[in-house]
Amino acid sequence: MAKPESGFQEAARDGSGESLTSLRVTVNGKQVQTVVPDRLLLSDFLRDHLGLTALKVACEEGACGACTIVMDGDPARACTLLAVQAEGAEILTLEGINLPQGLNHVQQLFQQSHALQCGYCTPGWLMTVYCMVERSIHPDSKQVGQYLSGHICRCTGYRNIWTAVRRALGAPNSDHSSGKP
Amino acid sequence: MTDRTLEKTRRTGVRRYMGEAILRAEDEELLRGRGGFLPDLPAPGAAEICVVRSTEPHALVREIRKQRALASPGVIAVLTADDLNLSDDALPCLDMIPGTLDARQRVIARDRVRFVGQPLALVVAANRYLAEDAAALVEVDYEPLPPVTDHMAAMNPGATLLYPDLGTNIVYQVTQRDGNAEFAPGDGDLVVRKRFEFHRQVAIPLETRGVIAKPIDNGERLHVESCTQLPQVLRNVIAGALGMEPQRIRVTAPRLGGGFGCKEMVYPEEVLVPAVARKLRRPVRWLEDRREHFASATHAREETVDAEAVVTGDGVFVGLRLAGWANIGAAFGLVGNTPITAMGAMVRGPYCVPNLDAHMFSVVTNKTPLNVLRGAGAPQAAVVMERLLDEAALRLGIDRAEIRRRNLIQPHELPLDRGATGFANAYHIIYDEADYPRCLEAGLKLAEYETFEDERRLAAASGKLLGLGISMYVEITGVGPYETARIALQPDGTVLLYSSIMPVGQGSETTQRQLVAEELGVPIEQVLIRQGDTDEVPDAVGTFASRGAASGGATARIAARTLIKEILANFASALRCEASAVSWEGGGVVIATSAEEFIPMAEIPGRLASLRQEAEPLRIEAESRLEIPKPSYSYATHIAVVEIDPQTGAIQIPRYAVAHDCGRIVNPLLVEGQIVGGTVQGIGEVLRENVVYDSAGRLQTRAMMDYVLPGASDAPSEFRLFHMETPTSFNPYGMRGVGEGGTIGAQAAMANAVADALRDYDIGVDGSGPFNPAWVLEALSRPLSSAPAAKSGP
Repeated sequence: MAKPESGFQEAARDGSGESLTSLRVTVNGKQVQTVVPDRLLLSDFLRDHLGLTALKVACEEGACGACTIVMDGDPARACTLLAVQAEGAEILTLEGINLPQGLNHVQQLFQQSHALQCGYCTPGWLMTVYCMVERSIHPDSKQVGQYLSGHICRCTGYRNIWTAVRRALGAPNSDHSSGKP
Repeated sequence: MTDRTLEKTRRTGVRRYMGEAILRAEDEELLRGRGGFLPDLPAPGAAEICVVRSTEPHALVREIRKQRALASPGVIAVLTADDLNLSDDALPCLDMIPGTLDARQRVIARDRVRFVGQPLALVVAANRYLAEDAAALVEVDYEPLPPVTDHMAAMNPGATLLYPDLGTNIVYQVTQRDGNAEFAPGDGDLVVRKRFEFHRQVAIPLETRGVIAKPIDNGERLHVESCTQLPQVLRNVIAGALGMEPQRIRVTAPRLGGGFGCKEMVYPEEVLVPAVARKLRRPVRWLEDRREHFASATHAREETVDAEAVVTGDGVFVGLRLAGWANIGAAFGLVGNTPITAMGAMVRGPYCVPNLDAHMFSVVTNKTPLNVLRGAGAPQAAVVMERLLDEAALRLGIDRAEIRRRNLIQPHELPLDRGATGFANAYHIIYDEADYPRCLEAGLKLAEYETFEDERRLAAASGKLLGLGISMYVEITGVGPYETARIALQPDGTVLLYSSIMPVGQGSETTQRQLVAEELGVPIEQVLIRQGDTDEVPDAVGTFASRGAASGGATARIAARTLIKEILANFASALRCEASAVSWEGGGVVIATSAEEFIPMAEIPGRLASLRQEAEPLRIEAESRLEIPKPSYSYATHIAVVEIDPQTGAIQIPRYAVAHDCGRIVNPLLVEGQIVGGTVQGIGEVLRENVVYDSAGRLQTRAMMDYVLPGASDAPSEFRLFHMETPTSFNPYGMRGVGEGGTIGAQAAMANAVADALRDYDIGVDGSGPFNPAWVLEALSRPLSSAPAAKSGP
């Protein structure tokens, strides 16, 4: 497997022959300095090594958005990145935007709109909506649909997700029959 | 609290929970990313398992060589069938009936493989990466056999047999007859004949499957954690396969990241992983990846149906003759014969059709085993009936709504024995109280059916083909045979329900708590729930067939009622008074001895303890077991309006209307969530989703990029819902199920809407499409001779 160009120092191997690379990354405001197998996926690094299990692995090819994190300000798919590709990056996961207790504003809107059922895809949506709010996307903008098209929800049929997201972006709390603009 | 008078409490009132749109308490954990799904559970010290699966659809297995894999770094063991020493290697099939041949699935292949994805060996290693490395080094010598993929060809004389000992590939058959099965067309009757083909689909919950198994209690027992809708069934199967007493197996199932029937199965891995934990005496974990999910999680829907309807000149359906063949893949699923059985049993839906002659068959092929998916055969049944109705209406020149009016069962004719049987002949299908005509009219009004032709003309002027499709269905819900629940008033004054129903996303945590809070008359915050643990609820049926609220919820509510009786008996005994002197009112005990006194539930454990001069507050338990001899029947009208762009073949859904009746509603917020979610799932199934095998029997659909699920922009632009609430007398609380109806109604409404939009074209074989752009453009290339010149296609 090709070594990543940045962050590569020297070939190190663990007891089972895994090629290792050092990694320095900021996760939810905390500096992490460690050594990881070159081939370790970023999703596995965050979930298994750092215990940040909010992000979910579902399609393993960037098709469903359940593993979405925010990397250097952009939504990113943790399942199609290697951990070493995050060298020097600032990563935000759902754990990093959770309040110490209870639900934040967007989470409350998801609950009130019944915008989740099994909840497996939900952490991914919340990270994308976090970026949309940060970027002040207008609730009636065509961009809303483009952002949401990056996520699959198998349960809700999307109507209530549209409603929750549009409200998170400042749309009035009116009863939209579809949620879509 | 002796100063608290009963009158005071009565004035404060008791909150009712039945029918209230209560927000889900479970959302807090889920929204914080702490849902506790199986892949999130700690598994300290667990080795990881990778399953070596057949790459051949049909072959004899000559040899499995492990040496290279064993030498791979981090490998702990490489195990095949011979290493696991299973007492019983057959997985259960619950819907076999007399005459059914034994095509039960084996836990692990020995000398023959029958589908791509079948487990052959297990690699156990320090982590998943190393396990996958080694799995690639396991060498299997195959002697290929001819693959059988087409179930219709599999029935031909001389076809390759999957199970040569059985002498046939037809392994199950069932006949459903009602009225005069020998019916024949009379003078002036119309005969409508159609073949329907339904394509293979798969549930794709976003959470794949997974199993963790570990020895507990000094190795005396095994704890198995699995993504299952049926923990109690699984426990018994593991016990049988490993030759252990059921009490020595504890199965727990965490919240599921979606089920949809995919997890209503006992899978090979759910037996294999515990077998490895027992053999190696250590915790092990297997997490399914998405690629193997496509090959090894059960598939659904694939069947072919020939239908012949005899219809009078007035549009009244006299009789229906059906033959249907399900492509059930290489072996039985847990209830893999149920979908094709539902075709015969439920095809007539809410329509009278007095005569029925239906012959259904399951055919084995070299594909992944088939099992249930949301709707379990009812979606296909609705497509058959509703397409026949539209065809008859077209040929007789009768309005599509009118022909349905002429065939609907009237309220005064109910309850009605349909002369057919459900699930492995376990019960007669007897429709309960309903108002199908009102449901149809409500749907038509909701969808603005009367003015649709004007809309169609307007759309045509801008080059768009508009179509409208009506469907109605009746669905078997809230099935038995029984359900159980346990409940306890805990020392801290809260009530804890041990429910038999799994949380799969449907909101069972909230609805079950609502039902208990309603019965007890206490705030819902005082009712807690635990689910999915066979040590807590050893005997239960499970979560499927839209039975969570109707069957499981009713059982929970009865448990709460029993708990009240227990509490009152405790007070009567402690006070040495007549039973009639204590009663339950307003969320607590009312004692009418000297001065009337009210003790709210939270204070009961302490009060009883002090009355009995015990130091610790008491814990009071109750159990319930509800026998459910008759299911209840939900029904709905779905109306889809579709808009086809003839340039691209793309289908949009500007409007979708559902009028439905699931009896007494527990939580309208969650009911709407089920209907909208189920409808979009059904829409996706007929618009795009498709499991494809090549002619050599190799699975081509291996990722979510290949199997495209509906996205946020595919949902109908506008949803309109209308709730009817006819209580059913077949359920103690008037409830019917609602989890699957959306999917059932959607396929037929979409099939009719697409056919209506393309009414000037030959759409070819009827069925489930999928109606993707390629299918639409092909249909547009075949204008009917009477049609205006096609203005279509690139």
